[in-house]
Amino acid sequence: MTDHAVLTITRRVLLVVVLAIQLVLTLPQLVGSPHGPSAWVAYGLLTSVLGIVAGNVAAARPELPAWLAVAPLAASVLATTALPAGASFGPADWGFGLVGWYLLLVLVERPTALLAALSAHICFSIVWFAHAGNGDIGTAGVVILSGTSFQLGVLVITRVLHRDARLAAEAAAEHDAARTREELARQREQDLKAGFEGQLGALLPLLADLADEQVSVADQTTRLRCSVAAVQLRRLFAENDDVPDPLLHELTACVDVAERRGVVVSLAVSGTATPVPTEVRRELVAPMAQALAAANGRAKVSLLRTATEVRVAVVADAPETLPEAGTAEAVTVETSVHSGLVRSEARWRTA
Amino acid sequence: MADGVTAVLVDDHPVVRAGVAHWLSTADIELVASGEDPGVAWTGPGAAADVVVLDLHLTGGAPATSELRKLVEDGRRVIVYSMRDDDEIALQCLEIGALSYLTKAEGADHLVQAVKAAAVGQSYTPPALAGALAGDRSDTRPALSPRETEVLVEWFQSESKEFVAQRLNITLSTVNSHLERIRVKYAAIGRQAPTKAALVARAIQDGLIGLDDL
Repeated sequence: MTDHAVLTITRRVLLVVVLAIQLVLTLPQLVGSPHGPSAWVAYGLLTSVLGIVAGNVAAARPELPAWLAVAPLAASVLATTALPAGASFGPADWGFGLVGWYLLLVLVERPTALLAALSAHICFSIVWFAHAGNGDIGTAGVVILSGTSFQLGVLVITRVLHRDARLAAEAAAEHDAARTREELARQREQDLKAGFEGQLGALLPLLADLADEQVSVADQTTRLRCSVAAVQLRRLFAENDDVPDPLLHELTACVDVAERRGVVVSLAVSGTATPVPTEVRRELVAPMAQALAAANGRAKVSLLRTATEVRVAVVADAPETLPEAGTAEAVTVETSVHSGLVRSEARWRTA
Repeated sequence: MADGVTAVLVDDHPVVRAGVAHWLSTADIELVASGEDPGVAWTGPGAAADVVVLDLHLTGGAPATSELRKLVEDGRRVIVYSMRDDDEIALQCLEIGALSYLTKAEGADHLVQAVKAAAVGQSYTPPALAGALAGDRSDTRPALSPRETEVLVEWFQSESKEFVAQRLNITLSTVNSHLERIRVKYAAIGRQAPTKAALVARAIQDGLIGLDDL
């Protein structure tokens, strides 16, 4: 339960208590004894505070301004001074207990201010009592103690409730955070696994087929698959290397594999290095890697970086079967064959 | 000599001088002088050669851009021949007024075509230079049309003008005109040089480019 909810409930309960005391206990006292006219002003003032608090509670805004406590304190002064001589703490003193409850109602979430206001209220009542000088000290002591201790008891209970609710909320939040962390870790592990499998691409099915002897390396198609897998793996190894120009590094890695296979590759680079996200690099390099894997004879790989675009292209002697193109999301891939040459280009708009 | 083109080569490696001499001789271009010192282009038979092929990285480290500038200001047609594939230096050489920038990784064919073009005051854009132009992000770069950019990029990517022509469904000569127009646009910006002015003037006379395009 949040602080807000605890405060709402506390304020609601106190509102009912104060309303009951004001109507059932103090109104007969006020009516049944002779009081100065300011007593009714005090009663009216307290009633208006009750109205404000009730309005706030009804509007689900339990927070109250601290200055509202001025009204009960003023009512305290008005009610006490309007009492008949020597009636302080007696049956006619309707205001003493009620003002205490009002202070509790208004300042329950501010214990220090509440204690200060209560002390001021009690002190003024005592001073007025001593000033009149003809009351029964014993009765006064009992009234002060009983009334005040009850109000302080309620304050202590609300503070305890408040603290417990906060502890419970903290424990619940911690529990939720732990659950979230656990879920995130699990998700990350799964992503890593899936991502790695995804990046390994054609390799895992190829190894499975070779192991099951479903395909033979004597077969041209299988050799092409091996070639594609080799370039993909080499690129994957290069992907996490810490180099100033990762895209060029990955291209060079793919070129290297093709050259080992006997393809004469020339690599041309133009424009300055721009940061390219890993996923985009993967998609930019993939078509070129596929084409290089299928290439025989000569190939030209180019990397062009303009102000708005990164373009990776390969032009090679057209193979008999074009390798199937993968799916690309961030980049535009175009493959075409003209005059015995295949050109495959991946473009990514930087801006 | 069939078409009477003469060239002088400044390069500090004897093997390169011998190789270039052989390449040029197979294309009926006479290498009248060669040496490791830029002086060969200023004195003797080299001073009258149609084309100067200049190695940008002579012994000593710093690129020989001041040599290039002196030659260009003298009205010589210069092809920069460098072992470095460096976009910035390539663009800088064009700005100074070189008619072509070739890397030594590019073969005999490109060198021969560049020399032949330079002999008649024309530019030649090999694929690596096309890449440098396509990747040019400088504020002063000229505005190229989408088609010009595409020709530049495809030529850089494929190194085959036939392939570019087929891909873009245009003729081979259109590919060449696009590349020439691009070079004229580049020649029209920046500092003045006799070779650059001649390129622009000739392109306008031939109707290759209008004044409005510059």
